Amino acid sequence: MGDAEPLVRWDWIGRNWPDIQGLLVDHVIMAILPVLLGLLVALPLGLASARWRVLYQPTVSLMNVVYSLPSLAVFIVLIPLTGLANRATVIIPLTFYSLAVLIPAVVDGLGSVPAHVSQSAVAMGFGPMRRLIQVDLPIAVPVVLAGLRVATVSSISLVSVGALIGRGGLGYLFIDGWQRQFSTPILVGIVLVVVLAVLADGLLVLAQRLLTPWARARRTA
Amino acid sequence: MITFEGVTKRFGDGTVAVDNLNLQVPTGAVTVFVGPSGCGKTTSLRMINRMIDPTEGRILLDGEDIRKIDPPALRRGIGYVIQAAGLFPHRKIVDNVATVPYLLGWDKKKARARAMELMERVGLDTKLAERYPFQLSGGQQQRVGVARALAADPPVLLMDEPFSAVDPVVRTSLQDELLRLQAELQKTIVFVTHDIDEAIKLGDTVAVMRVGGRLAQIDDPPTLLAEPADDFVEGFLGKDRGIRRLSFVPAGGLAVRSEQGIPGWSVVLDDDRRPLGWRAEGGRPSEGNGYDSPAKEGDPLEGPVLNGTRPERPPAGEARTRAAAAGLQPFGTVDLNKDSLRAALDAALLAPSGCAIAVDGEGRFTGIVTREALDAALARATGPADG
Ligand SMILES: Nc1ncnc2c1ncn2[C@@H]1O[C@H](COP(=O)(O)OP(=O)(O)OP(=O)(O)O)[C@@H](O)[C@H]1O
Ligand SMILES: [Mg+2]
Repeated sequence: MGDAEPLVRWDWIGRNWPDIQGLLVDHVIMAILPVLLGLLVALPLGLASARWRVLYQPTVSLMNVVYSLPSLAVFIVLIPLTGLANRATVIIPLTFYSLAVLIPAVVDGLGSVPAHVSQSAVAMGFGPMRRLIQVDLPIAVPVVLAGLRVATVSSISLVSVGALIGRGGLGYLFIDGWQRQFSTPILVGIVLVVVLAVLADGLLVLAQRLLTPWARARRTA
Repeated sequence: MITFEGVTKRFGDGTVAVDNLNLQVPTGAVTVFVGPSGCGKTTSLRMINRMIDPTEGRILLDGEDIRKIDPPALRRGIGYVIQAAGLFPHRKIVDNVATVPYLLGWDKKKARARAMELMERVGLDTKLAERYPFQLSGGQQQRVGVARALAADPPVLLMDEPFSAVDPVVRTSLQDELLRLQAELQKTIVFVTHDIDEAIKLGDTVAVMRVGGRLAQIDDPPTLLAEPADDFVEGFLGKDRGIRRLSFVPAGGLAVRSEQGIPGWSVVLDDDRRPLGWRAEGGRPSEGNGYDSPAKEGDPLEGPVLNGTRPERPPAGEARTRAAAAGLQPFGTVDLNKDSLRAALDAALLAPSGCAIAVDGEGRFTGIVTREALDAALARATGPADG
């Protein structure tokens, strides 16, 4: 970093804004898609694990192993299959990371349905499918949403690692800044990633307020 | 009519929760299952809506074996109320109440209208309709539970300790409400409790069960109190069986003197002919009078607390002070058309004159019930020819 160099060069931001925007969109897609895919897969798996408890421990253990794998290593392993600098190379592992958070969230959410509530649903004459959709799942929503918040924020931050294999959304700015000993891109990257995470989290909190007004007591208690 | 025929339930771990149960639950009446914890009351109840299936024996609903009925269909025709209310936390009160109508495919408007009607029926302010269960008190939640169970007008109602989680005052009002509703609706109700007083108050028939899931005795409350089958039932019934039995003897048979006094005492009435108190004839009584002590709750002046009819306007506050100034003595009243012999006896014991004041439905004086009249009625009630 040159001595005369200021910490942030606004003119650089201005000149490169279209590129930064492109990276931002790429980042959002690569962060959000794994969470959505993860939720899609976690719901049936979580339901199955809640229904057949024997499945729960093995599934969660497997997911924890997956979670502990270094992301960079997984990216590199995937390169021969999906190609360097391909979105899929980033999205696939992040989907597994999301799963590792979301499956337990779905199981715990279903576990948060009080026994007397599911029993009275049975006694009222709900069939199994109807009970699941109209009683168990809605009551599980606050816990699942809490898991979704964790998965989303960590996914947004993990995408950056993909920059090391050439596809990391805003992470590219870190590499670029570091290679050129130039602080502006690094700061821009950090600020945008943090803003993105805070924004996504805020949206989920808002969704929680709107979807589950009945859970307020539990939240404030 | 629900019939248990040799019903036994043995759980997977070998626990025998219900052992060869044979009994009949008559249509349109309240049958109470009562007994100590773990005696199989809940298990027996849940076999009726097939939440548990018996190991042996069978259960008939109006002559039909319930195993032939698809469980969800069976359950939609049987209301179910439990201790924790079991309300759906994510649904508004009105939608909670409308649960079974929704399940039966009613349209939303009709189901909600029905729910509102039921909320009123069970004494719930319809302003609560748009709230969520967590915004209601325990007693209110319990009323919602009852309304929900009644929503589709099922002929049968199963209630598992529905009132045991609320405080005694709320419990009493919920019990009274249930009796009032039952007088209107005449459902076939199976009510589970471990509280013998609740069983005696609510049951047309009471089935006493003992641990091990065996039926100890099934009878109507007066018979149960008068003739417990064995030591276990007698012990479970507790003390004061004789007095409590009098609750089931109507006061109607009592002889009433229409004069406004007896030798030594006269009844003082207000302008509406409602009793204000007893006055000792020949001036102020020499003994301490009841109005000198500071008023406390349950003061005899407010009339009998158990079973009795309170005067419409008990002489409270100002009236009490006036009554005290006038040197009046405490009194108790009994409405012969509705109250029990126990209430009459209680009313007599509240007054230093030893007599109860008979009143009509509006609390107006109709006469005096003397000790002699009470004695005669008690002798009839406890005599061998008791009916
Ligand atoms: N699912 C089950 N598996 C094994 N044993 C059970 C099961 N459910 C109940 N039991 C046993 O069966 C017996 C009767 O239980 P139940 O719940 O019917 O009693 P209860 O009379 O309702 O008691 P309480 O007044 O405490 O509610 C108890 O000994 C209980 O431990
Ligand atoms: Mg029980």
